[in-house]
Amino acid sequence: MKRIKKDRILPFLKEMNKTQKVFSPQVSDNKDLMFIPLGDGTYDENIGKTTISPKIVLFPQTEEIISFRGNSISKITDSSKTLLFGVRPCEVKAIQFTDRFMTRDGLTDPNYMSRREGMTIIAVACHEPPSDTCFCIDAGRMPYLENGYDVQLFDSGAYYIAIPGSDRGEKILEDKNFEAASREDEVGVEGLKDGALRSQKNKPGVKDAIKRMAEDRVDEAFWERLADRCINCGGCVYVCPTCTCFNVYDVPSRDGYIRCRSWDACLHAGFTRETSGHNPRPTQGARLARRHEHKLKFDVINFGESGCVGCGRCSDACPVGLGAIEIIKEVNRV
Amino acid sequence: MAGLAASFGSGAMTNSIQEFKEAEVFFVIGSNTMEQHPLIASKIIQTVTQKDAKLIVADPRRIRLAGLATLHLAHRIGTDVPLLNGLMHIILQEGWEDKEFIKERTENFEGLKTVVAEYTPDRVSEITGIDKDSLHKAARIYASAKRAMIIYAMGITQHISGTDNVKSCANLAMLTGHVGFPSTGVNPLRGQNNVQGACDMGALPNVYSGYQPVTDSNVREKFEKEWGVTGLSNKAGLTVTEMIDAAESGKIKALYVMGENPLVSEPDVRHAARALRKIDFLVVQDIFQTETADLAHVILPAVSFAEEMGTFTNTERRVQLSGQALRPLEGTLPDWKIICEISSRAGYPMKYSSPKEILEEINRVTPSYGGITYDRLKDSWGLFWPCPDADHPGTPFLHKDRFSRGLGLFEPREYIPPAEPVDEEYPFILTTGRVAPQFHTGTMSRKIPVLEREAPKAVLEINPKDARRLKVREGSMVAVESRRGEVHLPVMITPNIQEGVVFSTFHYPEHNVNELTIGALDPVAKIPEFKSCAVSIRRI
Repeated sequence: MKRIKKDRILPFLKEMNKTQKVFSPQVSDNKDLMFIPLGDGTYDENIGKTTISPKIVLFPQTEEIISFRGNSISKITDSSKTLLFGVRPCEVKAIQFTDRFMTRDGLTDPNYMSRREGMTIIAVACHEPPSDTCFCIDAGRMPYLENGYDVQLFDSGAYYIAIPGSDRGEKILEDKNFEAASREDEVGVEGLKDGALRSQKNKPGVKDAIKRMAEDRVDEAFWERLADRCINCGGCVYVCPTCTCFNVYDVPSRDGYIRCRSWDACLHAGFTRETSGHNPRPTQGARLARRHEHKLKFDVINFGESGCVGCGRCSDACPVGLGAIEIIKEVNRV
Repeated sequence: MAGLAASFGSGAMTNSIQEFKEAEVFFVIGSNTMEQHPLIASKIIQTVTQKDAKLIVADPRRIRLAGLATLHLAHRIGTDVPLLNGLMHIILQEGWEDKEFIKERTENFEGLKTVVAEYTPDRVSEITGIDKDSLHKAARIYASAKRAMIIYAMGITQHISGTDNVKSCANLAMLTGHVGFPSTGVNPLRGQNNVQGACDMGALPNVYSGYQPVTDSNVREKFEKEWGVTGLSNKAGLTVTEMIDAAESGKIKALYVMGENPLVSEPDVRHAARALRKIDFLVVQDIFQTETADLAHVILPAVSFAEEMGTFTNTERRVQLSGQALRPLEGTLPDWKIICEISSRAGYPMKYSSPKEILEEINRVTPSYGGITYDRLKDSWGLFWPCPDADHPGTPFLHKDRFSRGLGLFEPREYIPPAEPVDEEYPFILTTGRVAPQFHTGTMSRKIPVLEREAPKAVLEINPKDARRLKVREGSMVAVESRRGEVHLPVMITPNIQEGVVFSTFHYPEHNVNELTIGALDPVAKIPEFKSCAVSIRRI
């Protein structure tokens, strides 16, 4: 265990930035808190909860995956080294979930995994929820981590107490900006963990909702009624840290074609429409059901845990009040 | 816009979008808000579902918003004036009008009373197809609320009676005192990010910026002085659809089209195409090759919004600064630079150095934009006009204590049916509109794979009973024919449309429903009647 004075964070990140690309939560020009590459002195002390999760670094909104040039076809992957500073525990849980999804049944997504392998994660535990919509405990996750990080930081006021979680993390803590932690710091961490567990008040009832959905107690009419409100913007999907559906398309380049992929959303009609015109999810209600059944029913069957880590971003983003929190509460009212 | 300007003195949304959250009643007429203004709709949806606000939807189609409505009035196409007159008739009969507001703030109330007296529930029910109970209920819900909003869009304006429809909306609001207060007013939703701004800047045939008439000699002198010229025209010019007719008759020899695609968007588009081919010199300025650009003698490549900076004025009269996100492609220029270059080559050197300098001129010559400066916009989320000077905070809602024209003017209107009635030969009404994923003639949205996938082709929406009668199934191809053209479309069978009415969109040049639409115009605003024409349908 080590610790770092908060005013040493920026020098530390600048040091790290020499050998890899460092991202940290910063307020963008449009006043959103986002993971943004470290610039000169742009580190923002407020870690908070970013509008879009660090998914955007591992799985960019749009990326090139294959290039076609004459008769040659080549894969495009990005294996550059990155360091994400200020990742929240729920986001680490989401990355761990996505890792399993992206390597499932021996099939690996090369674009995701090449970035993932080059990524170092410095997590910051939440000793109080960064926003009112946080519900990680209710969603079966925790506001601090047992694994899945390289370094985990606990905020003790003037210092961050740093715990390594991997060899890579051990190495990072050798940086000169870190100092030895005291016995009090160790005790302090336990206190922060207790406080974290107590301070989260938002409890929409994920377990109950999972149970009700497993028992098929939610019918089509339920989803159609809620979907009357859905404006089909896809915002809930784009901000979700575990949603990774994408669309593939080709664009002309100077000397051939580039195959790209971009984030897609299961709420869009064209997502499941078949070439014949038939759509197995023909209504907005059926599509809304698909999304939430995926998270709360099929992920539980396939991975043993729900696909919702309780970050609350969909409830922050939805313009009509149809995020996971609202849906879970509605399911529990059935 | 002309209608509201006549009634209130200003042709724009009376309220800001934020105020929607405090409204008690929304009366949405002729606006498919969830498809066409989804984020404004989201405010309505939240207010209705979370605060129990009431929602009345008046629309011939069962649009998505109708699913959340307290009451859906599916009136016949083109019967908006009798519907609104009928509601006013009931309000007066029941004594629900706001007598004090009428006395203090309006004129010609007697004229209104005389006209709406003829629109009895029996007669209105017969014209509109709406039962009397629903009419009574709608009148009560709207009139009895404290903060009620009328929201409308093209479903009101794209008729030969468009201006009358707008004036009738204004009459209803004034009759009940529902204008001039927060979260209370008449809100026409504009369809593009800057169509309000384009109108504000005088991109209209009859006004300079800020709606200053070209016929006013004081205004003319002001602009002559600012620009260092003499002899600015004192005559109003032509609207787009009139220009097409003038091109056809040879009166117009040259046409300079910026960011428009009339070869797809004009009504009776075969006529428009014939007219445009007669033009001696056609210039098209756009960001992509359009169908209209295919006919052009000169194409001027402009940049997209993301490659330039400047200001936009959105539907709620909010002026916002837009920054440059991308470097322009080689060989392209921002629209303002192209115009400066053309003007300079034509003999009037136009030497603005930046959008900021242009805004400074706007501030000098446009009273409503007087205080909307670059520096103020830079540090804010925008300013609402009117904002006459640098210390003015802007005006989120209009007509507080006084209408822009002084007293609000009741201009009662009579029912005028659509220009082309159905008959034996053409027994269906075709009404046209849009879908959420596509934008106008698709010059931009159809290049975006996900949007194109969402709505890849034009379909003809038809009632199940009509489909049965025509012996067509989902996806069957039909020939839709009007007196002006014929288009082949697959059908989409839906109970959301009335019997005898079919709906399609004009986003798809390969199946352009504007080959069918009629060039009949509203006599004041000159807007074409895209919402109604007579067609026949046969299976192919």
